[in-house]
Amino acid sequence: MYGAVAQSAFQTQLAYRSQLWAHIFGQFIQVFFKIAIWQSVFGSLAQVDGVSLPQMITYAVLAGTVLSAWEWARLIQGIDVAISTGDIAVFLLKPLHYPLYLLASECGNLCFRVVAIVVPIVLTVALSYGLLPPASLLHGAAFLVFWALSFLIQFLLSLLFGLLAFWLMTAFSLEWLLQGLLALLSGSFVPLWFFPDSVTALVRHLPFAWIGFYPVAVYLGKLTPPQVFAYLALGVVWAAILGSGVLVLWRRATLRITVQGG
Amino acid sequence: MPPIIEASAVSKSFRQHKRFPGVLGALKSLFTQQFTEVMAVDGISFEIGRGEAVGYLGPNGAGKSTMIKMLTGILLPTSGSVCVLGRIPHAERSRNARQIGVVFGQRSQLWWDLPLVDSFELHRRIYKIPADRYRDNLARFSEVLALGPFLERPVRQLSLGQRMRAEVVMALLHDPQILFLDEPTIGLDVVAKDAVRRFLREVNRERGVTVILTTHDLQDIEQICPRLIVVNEAKLLFDGPLSLLRSALGSKRRLKLEFAADPGPVELPYAKLVSDAGALKHYLIEREDVSLVAVLSDLRDRADLKDLSLEEPSIEELIRSVYAGGDAQGRMSAAPPRGV
Repeated sequence: MYGAVAQSAFQTQLAYRSQLWAHIFGQFIQVFFKIAIWQSVFGSLAQVDGVSLPQMITYAVLAGTVLSAWEWARLIQGIDVAISTGDIAVFLLKPLHYPLYLLASECGNLCFRVVAIVVPIVLTVALSYGLLPPASLLHGAAFLVFWALSFLIQFLLSLLFGLLAFWLMTAFSLEWLLQGLLALLSGSFVPLWFFPDSVTALVRHLPFAWIGFYPVAVYLGKLTPPQVFAYLALGVVWAAILGSGVLVLWRRATLRITVQGG
Repeated sequence: MPPIIEASAVSKSFRQHKRFPGVLGALKSLFTQQFTEVMAVDGISFEIGRGEAVGYLGPNGAGKSTMIKMLTGILLPTSGSVCVLGRIPHAERSRNARQIGVVFGQRSQLWWDLPLVDSFELHRRIYKIPADRYRDNLARFSEVLALGPFLERPVRQLSLGQRMRAEVVMALLHDPQILFLDEPTIGLDVVAKDAVRRFLREVNRERGVTVILTTHDLQDIEQICPRLIVVNEAKLLFDGPLSLLRSALGSKRRLKLEFAADPGPVELPYAKLVSDAGALKHYLIEREDVSLVAVLSDLRDRADLKDLSLEEPSIEELIRSVYAGGDAQGRMSAAPPRGV
């Protein structure tokens, strides 16, 4: 049943073909822009803080494109519209769990964007600049697991922020707040390696780090196998904490709809 | 047979933030926590039996949608209780959802960007409808409501009339026992209204689906619902057959005759002249059995008749006369609740 929801989300994306072309184009520009920045930062240096330029290019593609393929802002905007128009009540009429419905539908969206945007970009960059392979088979496999976890944490964070719109009545500011937090703390643009040590100690343990930083660090082999499993476990704990936060918030939101009429 | 829907002394009030006018007022609203209680439904009770078709009628803001939302489990009553199919709807929302169908005239439940048939397919999988049931229902319903020509079109491209027909079909695909409709004909043209009404009547009579619809259009009631519940300003005004309401109120229809030139006095045995502007005359007809055809045949010799119309009393007029006639109201509350 939730599979059907994911499938129709995938099909819905196909309905907006012109939008898709604009997206692909924009994503391409972003990737090449980031690569250009790192090239000029590195200049003729072989390594900066123990990281080489090819590693940095791989990092830019993985964190900037692969792990950011899913559009979290659309989720928040969608929830905001559903709340402000009252359409959210319609979901209470169906034998569905709204957060699960959203998860299924966003899985469909992610799949679509992987096929339509991630694959072409990864292939293009691999052929033009070259991408590093995963550090080992284990690291490569672990990356896939971390990728799934990264999506789950992004989804739960966005849903948490989206549901807050019930009480704060404006999703717009929440969206900006989350955008700032993600850009800074997830390492999707600047890796946490380049942060000052005192800051990293904290940022490394926030859930944002599992969105961009850890998955790529695993891919590039910056973590030893025991560390990989330790950080995977920590990430799962974060997902569980965020997931229970979502459930609590959703329960209170339903109560609010049913008692106050939205 | 026990009732399928029971509402006992149901009330629903909403708290609204009190706002103050002007800029200073807006600032004041930021810091004060004053609320006003708005009563949307006030102590309403009724019972509905299996297979009934009930019209829930009232002017805008009378609390019709609020009642439907409580019966479908989207809203929790402030006091009193509702029971649908032996369950408390909001407590068992999901299980309730599988056995009821809901249509909101002003809110779409179709997937906006997908072809219509994909919305139906998604509905099938969410409600886990057996494939053969789904095929039969879809074939039958789309034939009666002529959905065929636009089944493959995305919902956002459908006209309002097409969309409403589709909404009704989707609400029935999972063979619900009860169909709730909130203003299903609002904004539709005459042809589309008629198609929806005829379909709903068929679904009620032939499939035995219990139908509850809110409306402020008396025609909906006349064609679909033998039983009528009238609410106004959150309170129950009347519960019984439409004919009883009519005769209790002595409700009158208004006949308008327009002539090319002033024909002098025109007498009709069953109609009372209420205004005479020469070429334009208004009458009131009290008898139920007088039809437009009868009026026409009486006037067939009048070659100068340009136009005529026979208007039903609007719901607002009916409600006004409920308030005006204290006697009629007494008779109405004595009307026995039906479907028990």
